[in-house]
Amino acid sequence: MPGEYDVEFVERGDREARFLVRGATPAFANGIRRAMVADVPTMAIDEVRFIENSSVMFDEQLALRLGLVPLTTPPEGEFVEDDVVTLSLDVSGPATAYSRDLVSGDALVTPAEENVPIIELKEGQRLEVEADARIERGQTHAKHQGGVAVGYRHLQRVEVVGDLEEFEDEESRIVRGVIEDEGELLNAEEFDNDLAKRYPGKEVRVEDVPDAFVFHVETDGSFTVEELVTRAADSIEARADELEEAVQL
Amino acid sequence: MMVPVRCFTCGSVVGEHWEEFEERAKEGDEDPEAVLDELGVDRYCCRRMLVSHTDLVDVVSPYQ
Amino acid sequence: MELRVTESADTELSIEIGGEDHTFMNVLKGALLESDDVTTATYDMNPEQSGGQTEPILTIKTREGVDPLEALEEAAGTVREKTTSFRESFEAAA
Repeated sequence: MPGEYDVEFVERGDREARFLVRGATPAFANGIRRAMVADVPTMAIDEVRFIENSSVMFDEQLALRLGLVPLTTPPEGEFVEDDVVTLSLDVSGPATAYSRDLVSGDALVTPAEENVPIIELKEGQRLEVEADARIERGQTHAKHQGGVAVGYRHLQRVEVVGDLEEFEDEESRIVRGVIEDEGELLNAEEFDNDLAKRYPGKEVRVEDVPDAFVFHVETDGSFTVEELVTRAADSIEARADELEEAVQL
Repeated sequence: MMVPVRCFTCGSVVGEHWEEFEERAKEGDEDPEAVLDELGVDRYCCRRMLVSHTDLVDVVSPYQ
Repeated sequence: MELRVTESADTELSIEIGGEDHTFMNVLKGALLESDDVTTATYDMNPEQSGGQTEPILTIKTREGVDPLEALEEAAGTVREKTTSFRESFEAAA
């Protein structure tokens, strides 16, 4: 019985996508979602050595800001736990230090976002740091969380069941997510989330489609949506493998 | 003090939009709602990060 | 992943699966319940603050004549097949 999934993209971008999965159990859908949020490892700055910091912020505050800057994560298996990539930053005021000023020692690990302000430096102030980036799971710290606002909703099937009575007031009928209308997938935002606008004068029935989930996945820039989803599936698979092996012994 | 790098609630990176938002909506006279829409800051958790932020570096820097 | 059997009988098994959380346990439980050989499958896990058992304990009851450990092995295989199939479908659509 396992298998037989049917995946269809509703919206698609590098960093944000919406896709429909048919044939998944709620448990499996939630497993994938949770794996995307907490189990797919990403690179992030974890340790910072301050050589000079005469800015208005404390070392600890700057270390947190540096940690939150998303870094591109190299292909699976390229880095393992405890591998370190060193990035350095040296900016003298008056200027603002941006995430793009981080110079990486490895071309695979660079700031995914260029224009994040780290600290504004005034005349005579200077910031020079050396930072170590490590690969970790979202479970340990939110900065290692590759998926942002990952979630799913049931696919909703909309059916026209008849006309409204002639003098009946038209009430708005709000739906969210993605609807299925005679086999066509439609984001509810396209009709302002209001079914009364799409089917004026009609009586409609909305029902959840069993085992069909519309995922909304956004990444912080560490990798693409596709990468995140496949890595999440891989992480569950790796654990299933491990369990199977352990039980056999 | 400085604009937060990420949204406290969802973790989306919002810091990169601050300078444009400040220039266009806080100092300029554009409608903040339209600017945020254009920047792609869609969720209200991320929007409040920019709307409610004030830079304090200029205020504290004389007391170093 | 560290396994520790806490209770074992002919058709019943309780096993602690160290280092896992709801992400994997719920998928595994779902896969176990799909099997006709399994009559009961559940797992129990407490938050750290409760001070009790924090690692998940999986309890399986099987039909007469079926070794629960084998049912577990089969379910792990089912999960693997599911993820493989999901990844294939996803990559086909991507």
